[in-house]
Amino acid sequence: MKKFMIFLLPLVVFLGVLAFLYQGLFSDPREHESTLLEQSMPEFVLPDLMETQKSYSQTIFEGKVTLLNVWGVWCVTCAVELPYLQQLKQDGKHIVGLYYDQDIDPDFGIKTVARVQQEVKDKLAQLGNPYAFNIFDVKRDLSLDLGVTGAPETFLIDQTGKIRLHHIGDINPRVWNSKFAPIYNKLVAN
Amino acid sequence: MLAELGNFSLIMALMVAILLSVYPMWGAYKGHQKMMAMAKPLAIGMFLFTAFAYFCLTYAFVHDDFSVAYVANTSNSTLPIHYKYTAVWGGHEGSFLLWTLILCVWTLAVALFSKAIPVKVLARVLAILGMVGIGFYLFMLLTSNPFDRLLPFYPIDGKDLNPLLQDFGMIIHPPMLYMGYVGFSVAFAFAIAALISGQLDSTWARWSRPWTLAAWSFLTVGVALGSWWAYYELGWGGWWFWDPSENAAFMPWIIGTALVHSLAVTEKRKVFKSWTVFLAIAAFSLSLLGTFLIRSGVLVSVHSFASDPSRGLFILGLLVVIIGGSLFLYALRASQIKSNGRYGLVSREVFLMGNNIFLTAATLVVLLGTLFPLVHKELGMGSISIGAPFFDQMFTYLIVPFVLLLGIGPLSRWKNQSLQALSKQIMIALGLSLSAGLLVNAGFEQSTYMADLGLVMSFWVIITTVMEVRQRIEQQVTAGKYSTWQSLQKLTASHWGMVLGHLGFAVTLIGITLVSAYNTERNVRMAEGDSVNLQGYEFVFKGISQLQGPNYSADVAHVDVYQNSQLVSTLKAEKRFYPVQRNVMTEAGIDSGFSRDLFVALGEQLKNGDWSLRIYVKPFINWIWAGAFIMAIGGVFSISDKRYRMGNLARTASSAKENPKNLMEQAS
Repeated sequence: MKKFMIFLLPLVVFLGVLAFLYQGLFSDPREHESTLLEQSMPEFVLPDLMETQKSYSQTIFEGKVTLLNVWGVWCVTCAVELPYLQQLKQDGKHIVGLYYDQDIDPDFGIKTVARVQQEVKDKLAQLGNPYAFNIFDVKRDLSLDLGVTGAPETFLIDQTGKIRLHHIGDINPRVWNSKFAPIYNKLVAN
Repeated sequence: MLAELGNFSLIMALMVAILLSVYPMWGAYKGHQKMMAMAKPLAIGMFLFTAFAYFCLTYAFVHDDFSVAYVANTSNSTLPIHYKYTAVWGGHEGSFLLWTLILCVWTLAVALFSKAIPVKVLARVLAILGMVGIGFYLFMLLTSNPFDRLLPFYPIDGKDLNPLLQDFGMIIHPPMLYMGYVGFSVAFAFAIAALISGQLDSTWARWSRPWTLAAWSFLTVGVALGSWWAYYELGWGGWWFWDPSENAAFMPWIIGTALVHSLAVTEKRKVFKSWTVFLAIAAFSLSLLGTFLIRSGVLVSVHSFASDPSRGLFILGLLVVIIGGSLFLYALRASQIKSNGRYGLVSREVFLMGNNIFLTAATLVVLLGTLFPLVHKELGMGSISIGAPFFDQMFTYLIVPFVLLLGIGPLSRWKNQSLQALSKQIMIALGLSLSAGLLVNAGFEQSTYMADLGLVMSFWVIITTVMEVRQRIEQQVTAGKYSTWQSLQKLTASHWGMVLGHLGFAVTLIGITLVSAYNTERNVRMAEGDSVNLQGYEFVFKGISQLQGPNYSADVAHVDVYQNSQLVSTLKAEKRFYPVQRNVMTEAGIDSGFSRDLFVALGEQLKNGDWSLRIYVKPFINWIWAGAFIMAIGGVFSISDKRYRMGNLARTASSAKENPKNLMEQAS
């Protein structure tokens, strides 16, 4: 009997996977929900991605309503959302990138900063640059403090530097209108 | 008219498939000879009807019959003729027709070339293949019929084949890949037939081994071609992207690799029986799962051209029946299997099992990485994407112990291996590969530790493989039986298959290591006459010319490459515009070589008239694919081993052993 249970295991695992596959069929691959707690922006001191001698801290978010977008060139979904972010930028939104890189290069070995910069330049040249500037999360501490689980994720930060919204996944017109726009418009109106 | 005939032919094929899955199975159960004997003619019938349907669709493509919806969606009157033939599988419906046709080809091959296999087993195997066929015929006829018409209002011209697919690689990549994917259905059918009959001795392993090897070889070539295509056609300069579609093909390949090895152990040593059956089910299940993932639109991928829940639901139903059913049967029967071989802790069995575990772990990594975004989302935690870094890191961890065992396994004996003798050999091999790897890597500028590791591992595989052959020969020579040369000739074809398989793996590993570590790239803005230096090569931009292709127009960048002031190559990188789909495609200019590729891709024209170009020097990249082809050739060698044909072709085996093609003719 015990032996039988072991051989039953593959079937059980398969049925588990099946449940997710079934659900997956009926949901839009780009849809997502998330509700993380409102927090104030954690403290940090991090360099600019392109000009590493320049550094930023949490105070840069004061005075403006900001969209902080966590992204990386390795992230497929980020590439999908870049064009829409650009549209948001053209509508006058202030978008800051939090660049999240992986410590191991896809092609083995440690990456140089120059290499990362080059990759980012290529990507943005190809798909457009929505960012006012990019903060380089060198050791990914800030992402950790922010509770980032993957990329892309976007935080809506108000004029006092408080996080008002945390969105996991890409931003598209639907997400913007249903989730971001109400809060954003209220913040700007103040 | 022909489209209707094609549709009718598909329905006929479905009917035949139903008969094929009922009669021989029933006959095998009842011991009814005539019913079992029907398996072969029915398999032939299924093939003929499907082949005719396929012919009808091809005819519609070649004759630009845009009243057929599928043709209107994937072809155009200006499409060059050879791409009209390949456009047949350039979309969702047609690719399933190809899938089914290939299933029929495998079924037919099993029906024709299995004279040594007992009628009862063969009847069951063919019946199971027929059942798989039923699912796919129903899928096509009910949800994705390639023969649907657009009457009465059909378009004057078609929407054209996706320009990405208008390429030589697309002519051979999908059929090869499908041959591999679908080929695992044969191993699956043998495993299920064995489970049904309860006769899980080592004979089923022997019968299904050549089929599995054939499928694995095709899949190896198919995956390599896909990677090669992505490299030169997508113009990103990469060769593997961990895209869900790549993962979908890679998972059956890894499990198939494990299966090929596990089958060998089961056949020779009568152990790991239930594990081997599981792998056979898993390999085909993963092929089906891959089909589902890509064709249902659950995951976002370059290959997902159909996103229709009803189709997805149907394939999911197929998965439930085929995978669920077979795993249920497995659970019922596997507990009764007894492995009666014995082996020590240090033995070839254990090393092979170790590598099976690493291969399975690698498959799980890919499976998790591919499915995790889906699971994550369905649990309400939002969409995420898992990129190459995750896979690369996991594979870096897994490959080191894997390669270590890969070297030790062949050196050790079945049953029991003296640790002392083995450790001496290991020390020698380790010493040699360390010095060779480090020495070679020191020859590169700015050498990295990762490259050290990769090269040492590659040399380790090569050296242990050579040592193994040497050890074999030495035994023969010291026994005084044969001279060195004679004993080399005495090695069996399947032994050479193993040697080639492992050497091919080492070649691929060298390619991956070197291109990953020493790949150099520059993105440059260039005006006519500008030059840029990369890795000792001077790339001179000679200017742009216009080109008018059959169904596109293009800007062509001419780049001369000099090394030590000597012209090495003139590259042409194109930027094509396909007016029908309003698509822009880059066609990279590549000079391929033994030790490096020079790669130029044309970017955008800048405001002041300069052009942006991407230039790469990719050392040893061709080794990646060359290694895969060597592995596939190894597979072919193994299949040609005469012991698989002892029963059926004892009389002709000696004359046929050098020429497997010759043998096929004899067998038919």
